[in-house]
Amino acid sequence: MTAVLEVTNIKKSFGGIHAVNGVSFDVQEGEILGLIGPNGCGKSTLFNCILGQLTPSDGEVKVDGKVVTGMRPSELNGLGVSRTFQLLQVFPKLSVRENLILAGQEHQGNMLSRLLGPSDAGLTAAADQMIGFFKLDHLAKEPAGGLSYGQQKLLDAAMAFMGGPRLVLLDEPAGGVNLTMLADLKDRLRAINQEKRATFVVIEHNMEFVMSLCTRVMVMAEGKVLAVGSPAEVRANPAVIEAYLGH
Amino acid sequence: MSNLLDLLVAGLATGAIYAIVAVGFTLLWQTSQTINFAQGEFVMLPAFLMLAAMQAGAPFWLAILIGILLSMLLLGLGFKMLLVDPMLRHGVLPLAIATMALAIGIKEAVKQFWSAEASPFPSIVPTGDISILGRPVALQSIGVLALAILAVLALTTLLNRTSIGHQMQAAAQNPTVAKIIGVPVERMILFTFLINAFLVALASVLITPIYLAKFSSGEVLGQAAFIAAIVGGFNQVRGAIAGGLLIGVVDNLAAAYVSTQYRAAVPLILLIAVILLRPQGMFGRPEERTV
Repeated sequence: MTAVLEVTNIKKSFGGIHAVNGVSFDVQEGEILGLIGPNGCGKSTLFNCILGQLTPSDGEVKVDGKVVTGMRPSELNGLGVSRTFQLLQVFPKLSVRENLILAGQEHQGNMLSRLLGPSDAGLTAAADQMIGFFKLDHLAKEPAGGLSYGQQKLLDAAMAFMGGPRLVLLDEPAGGVNLTMLADLKDRLRAINQEKRATFVVIEHNMEFVMSLCTRVMVMAEGKVLAVGSPAEVRANPAVIEAYLGH
Repeated sequence: MSNLLDLLVAGLATGAIYAIVAVGFTLLWQTSQTINFAQGEFVMLPAFLMLAAMQAGAPFWLAILIGILLSMLLLGLGFKMLLVDPMLRHGVLPLAIATMALAIGIKEAVKQFWSAEASPFPSIVPTGDISILGRPVALQSIGVLALAILAVLALTTLLNRTSIGHQMQAAAQNPTVAKIIGVPVERMILFTFLINAFLVALASVLITPIYLAKFSSGEVLGQAAFIAAIVGGFNQVRGAIAGGLLIGVVDNLAAAYVSTQYRAAVPLILLIAVILLRPQGMFGRPEERTV
C-alpha cells in the first residue's frame, strides 16, 4: 500500500487562535478515513489547509508523494484531488447534468474551442453515468437549485467524483440528509471506493455513518489529533469519550 | 392618432434597444456586483467615437467597427481595470458612486471636446416605410428590432449553449466552487465586461440615428435600462429583456394615448409599482445572482 495523502505537522492560526495545531496523518490508497471531533476542533480548517483554500502557517501536505502545500484548489483538482462541501455548493441555475459536466471539465486551454466546440465537452455520457450511479436520473434536466437538500448533497458528491479523482475529501456529506437517502449515499460511496479504488477522507458528525463506512477513524480535539484507530478502538477510547462528553 | 401597429413596432424597437442595454447592466451586476450608473453614457459615447472615426475619413462600416473595438477597450477592459477593480475592494456602494462620477465625466467631456449640439448619425438599417396589413410601418423600426433580437439570441446562445457560457454562469452563481473546479473566474468576469461594452456599442449604433448623437442622451437611456432591469428582475437576463421591451412599448403608447408631456413619468410609475408590489421584479428571485 502507498500513501495517497501525507500530512505532516500542519498548523494554522487565526490571530492568537491555533485552529489547527500540529496535525500529522496519512491516508493509504483505497482507504476511507473518518475525521471526527467536536465542533470547532479544527476539522474544516484542516480540510481547507489540505485543499489549498487556506495556506497553512506551517507544515507540509503531499499527494502521491508530491509536495502540494500552498497549491491552488484548481491545481489540486488537476492532480485528482476533489472535495464536497459542508454547506451546499452547486450551481443553482444550471441543470444537474450541466453541473456535473462543469465539474468534470478541463477548464484551461483553448478559448476558441470552448466557444465553438460542443457545450458538453464530450462529457454528457460520463455525466449521465454518474447521474445513474447516484440515482438522480429523473432530475437530470432540473435546475440544481430546485432539488431537495438531500438530493443536492448527492449531486455535490457526484460532482466531486466526476473525472475519476484519486482522493476525495468529503465535508459532512450526511448532514441534513434523510435516513433513506443516507443509506443510499453510504452504499454509493462504498461502491466507488471499491470499484474505482478511490481514497476518501470524511468529516462527519453522524457516528453511525462514520463507524459503518470508514476503515479508520481519526479524532481531533482543540486543533490536535486525539486518537487514531479502527472504529471499534476509537469508540472504546476513554479520551475520545471525555472530549465528546465535556471536560 | 397614429396607428397602433406602428406604435407597437416602434415601441418594441426602442424597447429592444433598452433590453440590450439592460442585459449588459444585469450581466455586470451578476458577475461583479457592479451597478453601472454610467450605462447610459456608455451607450452615448460609442456614437461619438464612430462620428470621430468618420470625420477622420473612415467609411461608415469601418467607423462602426472602430467604435465597437474602442468601446470594448475603453468601456470594457479600461472600465474594469481602472475603475471597477480598484473600487470594488471598498464595497458595492463606493463603486456605484464612482460610476455616477464616471457618467458625469463622460458627459461633460463629450460636451467639452465635441459639441453641446446634437449631431445627426447615419442609420445602419434602411429608412422609409413599408406597408403591413395596409398600414405604413417604419422600416427602420423593423430593422432595429431584427438586429436587437439577433443580438439577444446570440447572447443567450452564448450563455446557455456554449461551454464558455456555462463557465460564465458558474462564475456568477458560485465563484468559490467555480474557482476550485478550475474555471478561470477572473477571465469570465472580464468577458462579461467586454460583452457589455459590445452591447452598449451596438445599442449606440441602433438608437443614435433615431435620437441623434448628443452628450446628454445617456441620461434617458441609462434610466430606461435601469428601470427595465429592475422591472424585469435585477438578476435575470430574460427579465432584463422583458423589462426593456415593456418599457419601450409602454413609453410609446403613453406618449400617443396619454400625453407626450407625461410619457417620461409612465415608466417611473411602473417602476414604483414593481418596487412596491413585486420588489424582485417580474422574473427575478429575491437575493440571488445568476447569469
